[in-house]
Amino acid sequence: MRFLSSLSLAFKLSVVLSLVVAGVAAGIGGAMVNQDRHRLREELRGKAFLLARSLAVTAPEPLLRGDSWTLYKTLREITRGSARARDTTLVTAMILDSKGRVLAHIYPALFPIGLPLLSDNSTERPHLQAELRMRDPAVFDGQDFIEGAAPIQSSGKNLGLARVQLSTLELDKNTADASVSVLLLSMSIALAGIILGSIWSIRTLRPLRTLAQSMEELARGIVHPLPVSRGDEIGQLIASFNRMTNELEEKRKLAGELAANEKVIALGRIAAGVAHEVNNPLAGMLNCLSTLRAKSNDPELVARYLPMIEMGLKKIEALVKDLLIELRVEDAREVADSSCLEDVRDLVAAEIDPARIEIAWDNLLKPGDSMNRPRVQQILLNLLRNSIQAMPTGGRLSCRFWSDEDNLILEIEDTGHGIPPENVGRIFDPFFTSRPTGTGLGLWIVLRLVQSMQGNIDVNSVPGQGTQFRIQIPREPNLATLAV
Amino acid sequence: VRQFFISFARTVLALGAVLVLGGANAADAPKQPIRFGLTAAVARENLDLYERWAAYLGRKVGRPVQFVQRRTYREAMEMLETGEHDFSWICSAPYAKYRDSNIFGLMAVPVFDGKPLYQSYIVVQKDRSFRTIGDLEGRVFAYSDPDSNTGYIVPRQMLSDLGRNPDSFFRQTFFTYSHSETIEAVSQRVADGAAVDSYVWEYLNRRQPRFTANTKVIQRSETFGFPPLVYRTGIDPELRARMTAALLTMDKDPEGHALLAELMLDRFITAPSGLYDNVRLNPDRR
Repeated sequence: MRFLSSLSLAFKLSVVLSLVVAGVAAGIGGAMVNQDRHRLREELRGKAFLLARSLAVTAPEPLLRGDSWTLYKTLREITRGSARARDTTLVTAMILDSKGRVLAHIYPALFPIGLPLLSDNSTERPHLQAELRMRDPAVFDGQDFIEGAAPIQSSGKNLGLARVQLSTLELDKNTADASVSVLLLSMSIALAGIILGSIWSIRTLRPLRTLAQSMEELARGIVHPLPVSRGDEIGQLIASFNRMTNELEEKRKLAGELAANEKVIALGRIAAGVAHEVNNPLAGMLNCLSTLRAKSNDPELVARYLPMIEMGLKKIEALVKDLLIELRVEDAREVADSSCLEDVRDLVAAEIDPARIEIAWDNLLKPGDSMNRPRVQQILLNLLRNSIQAMPTGGRLSCRFWSDEDNLILEIEDTGHGIPPENVGRIFDPFFTSRPTGTGLGLWIVLRLVQSMQGNIDVNSVPGQGTQFRIQIPREPNLATLAV
Repeated sequence: VRQFFISFARTVLALGAVLVLGGANAADAPKQPIRFGLTAAVARENLDLYERWAAYLGRKVGRPVQFVQRRTYREAMEMLETGEHDFSWICSAPYAKYRDSNIFGLMAVPVFDGKPLYQSYIVVQKDRSFRTIGDLEGRVFAYSDPDSNTGYIVPRQMLSDLGRNPDSFFRQTFFTYSHSETIEAVSQRVADGAAVDSYVWEYLNRRQPRFTANTKVIQRSETFGFPPLVYRTGIDPELRARMTAALLTMDKDPEGHALLAELMLDRFITAPSGLYDNVRLNPDRR
């Protein structure tokens, strides 16, 4: 069944239809052959009947005269015509007397005049005896022949019997030949039907295959309309397909526009955030400046206000620096192997007091685990700094990197103060920070970079005990080609 | 066109012939044909030959001659007796039987193979082992005609001479009323044996051997006077003389000679006396 169902529809259709047609042809042909055979057999029966009767009609006079020679000549003349007839073969013909003795036989050497036709123990004897008693002509069906028998009568008395046997072998042979012809013809029809049907079906179904190909291409994002060259069901199907692809295309365009819009909106939100973040220190600094301008020779005031102005500027600087980092790294592409992560470690180690914070570094990545260096470095740097800032009183920073078949995994764990549950959902929002000097952009940058590489982030935090970040970055199969 | 020309030429010739003959015999008495009876004594296989012979005799006697084939000898005799036929070629047996009856007179006897004689042949199928008529006991035997000498009287006499009863010797007998059909009956084995006129068997054997190919002669009888040509007693003597002369002089005339050769006869002669003395009448039934 599996084999059957995997065959081409075109082939199956034509085979089934052709077999049905051939079957019908064979059936009708067989019926006709049978009818023909029946008709020919009836004709043969009629002929046997007529021959026997005409012999019986002409026989009485020479029979009464004992004129065997005339009987023989009559027998020969009457049966010669039938022996020449198209599909009739004379088996035998004879004239017997009322005791079943031969008066004339077309094979005189085998059945001599004056002797009984059959021996006493012949199995045909009962049949012959019955025939000799017949009052009217009759036809009998024998093995391979049809027998016509007619009593030779004079004044109502049976003088003898005229008997003619016509062969049915020719007839049976013709029937067999005709059957073979019908069978061969049916098979030829079936074969021709299968071949022509397959060709026709393949031509008919070709648009369907094109359609299937186009659908596959559609799934891969290639869209092109198909030509509609026919008005039948397949044509309608193609037209529907074209309508569908058009709609899909429009939908995709719409989605693209929407995404662009969203980007603009996000950009607006960032711009607003930046404006807000810059505005806060800016207002304080302007306030300080105007106070200083008014009391410019008050050294106490200067000593108090200048650090405030510096702090405000530093905050603005940090903000701008983070934004710049984000912009720079977002489009960066550079392939490197796992050793590039060691640079991050060195950088971070220089920024901390090793007496306070202990770093446990466990890089299990293999030399072949290549990655997009600027992004991954930035992700790791931001996460490490974030963890360090979560441990103002010191602690332990554990880093583990490894890979499985599909992903690179970075796991960073600290023993800091953790994230309060109500803040867990907001830590990746831009400008969200729990520190007065924080820009709130560090984790937002991490999120954006991970998302740009189709990765994901798991955060697991227990307040007072620490936080664990796990980053999963899918391997990029075509990253190697980027390296070239 | 050619076909048309031929048929046109034929028509012209035929018209010419009618005019010439008509002119020549215009003064003669009735144009009624002379009827000449034929019997089983002659081979009837070549009708064309008899037509040409009739035309030849017609020209010689000055009146058209028509050969009329009769089935039995008895019929032929009756035709002579009633005057239906003027001449007839009859068998030696009826001749011997009726020669004193004043119905007919002897006109001429054919000479066959140098003698005016013929005999009876006992024939059987070629591949059978019978050697004489005596071996055919309990078999089927074909006679030609109950008035035939060689085809009936002679074989029965042979059996009588053997001390057998010819009526019970054979299982079955039948008459074919023709020597050539008798040969056919043997050839196709409807009959196991038969007695035939030696002239007819030899004629067929030499001229149309396919008729005799399947038969062989196993016994030959004594010889008898050849079946004679006779005239009806009441016929015009002048006509009789002309017909007799025409027959007796056939071998002197190239055309007549050619016809005789076709008939496989040497010539016609006047019968020597005592020629038919050994022809018996029907042997007495016992």
